[in-house]
Amino acid sequence: MKVIVSRSGGIAGIRRTWEVLVDDQPDFSDWLALIETLPWGEVPRTAPQPDRFVYRIRCDARTAELAEPDLTGPWRELVERVQQTEPTRSPDESR
Amino acid sequence: MVGTPHSFTRCTIVPPYLLVRLARLTDPRYAGAAEAARQSLLRDLPIRELRVPGQPPSPLAGPPRDAVAARPGRRPGSIDRTLADAGGRELLPGRVVRREGQPPGTDPAVTEAYDGLGSTQLLFWTQFQRDSIDGAGLPLDATVHYGERYDNAFWNGERMVFGDGDGQVFNRFTLSLTVIGHELTHGVVQHTANLDYRGQAGALNESVADVFGSLVEQFAFGQSTAAASWLIGEGLFTDEVEGSALRSLKAPGTAFNDDVLGKDPQPADMAGYVDADDDNGGVHLNSGIPNRAFYLVADALGGNAWEAPGRIWYDALTGGSLRSNADFADFAQATETAAADRYGADSSEKHAVATAWRTVGVNPTSTT
Repeated sequence: MKVIVSRSGGIAGIRRTWEVLVDDQPDFSDWLALIETLPWGEVPRTAPQPDRFVYRIRCDARTAELAEPDLTGPWRELVERVQQTEPTRSPDESR
Repeated sequence: MVGTPHSFTRCTIVPPYLLVRLARLTDPRYAGAAEAARQSLLRDLPIRELRVPGQPPSPLAGPPRDAVAARPGRRPGSIDRTLADAGGRELLPGRVVRREGQPPGTDPAVTEAYDGLGSTQLLFWTQFQRDSIDGAGLPLDATVHYGERYDNAFWNGERMVFGDGDGQVFNRFTLSLTVIGHELTHGVVQHTANLDYRGQAGALNESVADVFGSLVEQFAFGQSTAAASWLIGEGLFTDEVEGSALRSLKAPGTAFNDDVLGKDPQPADMAGYVDADDDNGGVHLNSGIPNRAFYLVADALGGNAWEAPGRIWYDALTGGSLRSNADFADFAQATETAAADRYGADSSEKHAVATAWRTVGVNPTSTT
């Protein structure tokens, strides 16, 4: 199972993507537990603010799009975990 | 790299017409004097205007009376800045570190933000008679050192917020005056046309922020259209990145081309329009199209872009004809109407605007 986080927007408008293959992680079960706590069906829909980031989080067939101010709790924990696991800057020429 | 204007001396006995002339000097040898004159105008203009009855109308005349807030004791056009330091946390507003009139300290981010807010107020007040973001003297608040290695700057509806950058891709976001002007202009948009931050309206919101962000820098440094860089965020990238800036109004799609970040994806005309899901429908991508339209107007008219081109865009933004979900064609129409109203239906300004929009592939609403 893969977790893909892409961050778009910001004043730069440059998209960055981070990807983690959960199966390869030594703390595999922690990842699964965290992913299962995410409220996939209850993502807030806040009006977009200028130059804030927009996060798209994908995990198997599930997708959530969150405005930066809504990236809190377990969502934020997952995103930070993905970014720390794959700290390299990833090329992203796609749109 | 572009810095911010330096501190200035007050010249309270110099007559206003001379200050205006000094403020418009473009010779780099007089950059310091020009900046001092502009700052003096910004500070003292409202009082000066009252003191010299019988003078011909100044190009820097004050705003309509009803646009000025009735805050007791406040002079229209005067600026009230408060800078705070978030200390690397993502909590606002942070600790206040500099109030209006206090001397600069040792933190360059605070100094850059403070001066950048001043330069932005200076453009809007002296050129468009707009008194702060809301047109009614709103105090300007900003927070620096927001978050840890935070790669962004934004306007949150109340204040400007600047991150320090990660040091690998981005330097601190106060380094570029265009970024400061860009963020404050989002506040101006919020208080005027209030364009939706999605799709074409969102790209217009972004473009207007880029246009006036660029004008803030051009005005502060006395750069003509021909001399200006037309870049947004020059100096933000570290030396590791192959790129000069985040965006180019003159040549969208050419600001960077880097192994890691990819190539600047902005289109320069409607043929390259991007239908995107991310970034609220590609607001930072498609803004390249109206950005280039503004540059083409400035290029056609020559001289200083904050004069007729900036005035036309400002009139369109504040004229009341734009709906919050305006698209490119609506905005093109608003700028053509604004140019005709102010300069005449057969003026070179009106023709420059019409030609610019057609060059980027946008047909104004009424002619489609």
